[in-house]
Amino acid sequence: MKRWFHATLLIFIIVILSSCGGKAPLEDLTLAFIIGIDLDEENNLVFYELNPVFGEGTRTGIETYKVKAKTIRDSRRLFDALTTGEVTAGKIQVLLLGKRVLQHGDWFPILDTVYRNPTFSMSTRVVTVDGPVSKVILYNPEEKHQLSLHLKALIDKNYDRTRAVKGTLQELHREINEKGMTPFISEVKKEKNLELSGISLLDNNGKYAQFLNVPEATLLLMLQNKKRKEVTLTIPVLPNDGEKNIFHKNVISFAASRVKTKIKSGYKQNKFHFDIKVKMTINIVERLFPEERLSKEQLTKEVEKELSTQIDSLMKKIQKKKIDPIGLGLYARAYQYNHYKKVENNWGESLAESDINVSVKVNINSNGAVEQ
Amino acid sequence: MINYTKNQITFMQFIFLIHGVQVGVGLLTLPRELAEKAGTDGWIALIIGWLFSTLASLIIIQVMKKYPNGTIIDLITHFFGKWVGKIAAFIFGLYFAFIGSIVFVREGLFIQFWVLPQTNLFLLLFLLSIPSYLIVRNNITILGRYAELVFFMTTWMLFFYFTPLKEAHWLHLLPLIKEGWKPILTAAKTTIFSFLGFEIAFFLYPFLQKKQKASIGIVIANTLTLAVFLIVTIVAFIFYSPDEITQYKEPTITLLKIVEFKFLERLEIVFLSLYIFVISTTVLPLFFSTVFSAGQFFGKQDHSKYVVWLLLLNLVYVLLLPQSFAGNRQLQKGMESISLILVYAFPLCLWVYLWLYSCVKRRVFK
Repeated sequence: MKRWFHATLLIFIIVILSSCGGKAPLEDLTLAFIIGIDLDEENNLVFYELNPVFGEGTRTGIETYKVKAKTIRDSRRLFDALTTGEVTAGKIQVLLLGKRVLQHGDWFPILDTVYRNPTFSMSTRVVTVDGPVSKVILYNPEEKHQLSLHLKALIDKNYDRTRAVKGTLQELHREINEKGMTPFISEVKKEKNLELSGISLLDNNGKYAQFLNVPEATLLLMLQNKKRKEVTLTIPVLPNDGEKNIFHKNVISFAASRVKTKIKSGYKQNKFHFDIKVKMTINIVERLFPEERLSKEQLTKEVEKELSTQIDSLMKKIQKKKIDPIGLGLYARAYQYNHYKKVENNWGESLAESDINVSVKVNINSNGAVEQ
Repeated sequence: MINYTKNQITFMQFIFLIHGVQVGVGLLTLPRELAEKAGTDGWIALIIGWLFSTLASLIIIQVMKKYPNGTIIDLITHFFGKWVGKIAAFIFGLYFAFIGSIVFVREGLFIQFWVLPQTNLFLLLFLLSIPSYLIVRNNITILGRYAELVFFMTTWMLFFYFTPLKEAHWLHLLPLIKEGWKPILTAAKTTIFSFLGFEIAFFLYPFLQKKQKASIGIVIANTLTLAVFLIVTIVAFIFYSPDEITQYKEPTITLLKIVEFKFLERLEIVFLSLYIFVISTTVLPLFFSTVFSAGQFFGKQDHSKYVVWLLLLNLVYVLLLPQSFAGNRQLQKGMESISLILVYAFPLCLWVYLWLYSCVKRRVFK
């Protein structure tokens, strides 16, 4: 009797076991891999969605849709009307934002559902598109991997080489909300090919403020102490030889094995002061001029000089736009809390007025495998 | 009189039982609650909370020492008479039933929100009730073993919290004591409740094998809890900007959304599924204390019958009244003042009384 009771109970429990009924075969799902948000000429929000097609009898393997909708969630309704399966958001790899969207200061709330709805992945890469998003999302060359894989790999690889930011949704949320810093996102453009062009710097509200090309992006990342697996820079250390300089015989390339940025903050005469000290150990990987033109000491000096000029001009650019992608505000908060608290809501302006000193210290470690 | 020597718990089980009751659903929202009150200084409040809870725990042990072979209810019966004992059993039973049920429902709500959004809450709790029944109907030894097993089964999950450290911003923690001590003390009020659960020692003490180690055991349990709380809170503080952390309802879960393996995304679902075990070590001892008190109230040795009634009552309650996070939170807020009396004030008064009592008694004997 007791055994029967147990058996019935077991069957009963198995039958009501939750979540077994709602199975979802891959073929019946439409996994959005890329979502694009853009504005058309009349400033209407346009949403793009790219998803792979599984199963036989399909040709290209991916499909792309474009809809006009009010919000991201609203766009799902329209995508559902177009696709075979249920549109699922959990696997979005890349979120493309048109530059035209970013040029309006108050765009960030349109991403609300991404953070409110727990099914969204927080590691989706956010990427700015210079130009219309449609050009990127409809780009589907035969010889490349599928666009979502390609874009993600493009970002991640350059992230590893300290040239781009991952710019995940999580990071974006932090940077937008943090008062002591401003957001920055990797930027791509489609000319003939799809290429990573640099980093877009946004202001406190998320409005597009400044574009940085890839070498500048590397410097910015170095200042943030975000050196990844590799940092390579190519800089001129000798004066330009005039028109003969077809082969850029004045440049040197080096890989930095160690980059350490120390930032000290202070407050004097109603102004914030920042001392930025960059210390790096470098290995020369390319030198197009003969060794005797510069001794090791001179070379070190020249590299230091060139780097600090470049960083200086980067800082000028940042200060001019009243933004703070480095996060100097974090240092101000940590060490000058009371002064910072007074200006935290207008941190960009305070930073624009503050004094920033940059010094670079270089230690040349090796000259490579060839003597000369 | 119940024979407490038959089913005993070891020193380790004693520690893990108390620690298990302390760490539960509260941890999921703890970093946000602290950040709301004291910003990134909130972790200091944890240490203050730990101090208070350790003190209160030691007082509880001191009280229990006066009557080592019985629970708090036996102790009260011994010193104050049968009827006061009944009242105590009633109050304690009700208290543990309420706390247990609040945590139980909250557990269901979390699972529903994060893992199974389309499943009925009643069904989830019904499914959880079955294993709960199978464990609580047994004696305390089984419960102790369960707590020990779950501890070793789930502590490794803490290592997930070291992954976000890759993007840590230690600067968030500076300067220490930003706005003075006032916000920290406000946050300490929250943390005192986070450490609740050591009151289970009222019922565990008579079962403990080596009673001379009770004090050290309860201190270890509290410290273990402090360590878990501190790790999670500090990781959340240095990962999230102080300006954004208050926007996340459960930062402890959201933190895991960024941990990602090649073969696995949305780790928080896996985590939460395992975390059910951790929450169960809160709920089950609370339910056990409830039915144990009920047994003593009705003067019955066997408490397994009451387990069914308790779980059924719970289910009926969930079926009849719609549940929400806000409502659940409200209930918990209501219980907090009762906790304060029962866990902090009551043992202290009892301790002072018993101390005076023994003084007077000694003098009479002279």
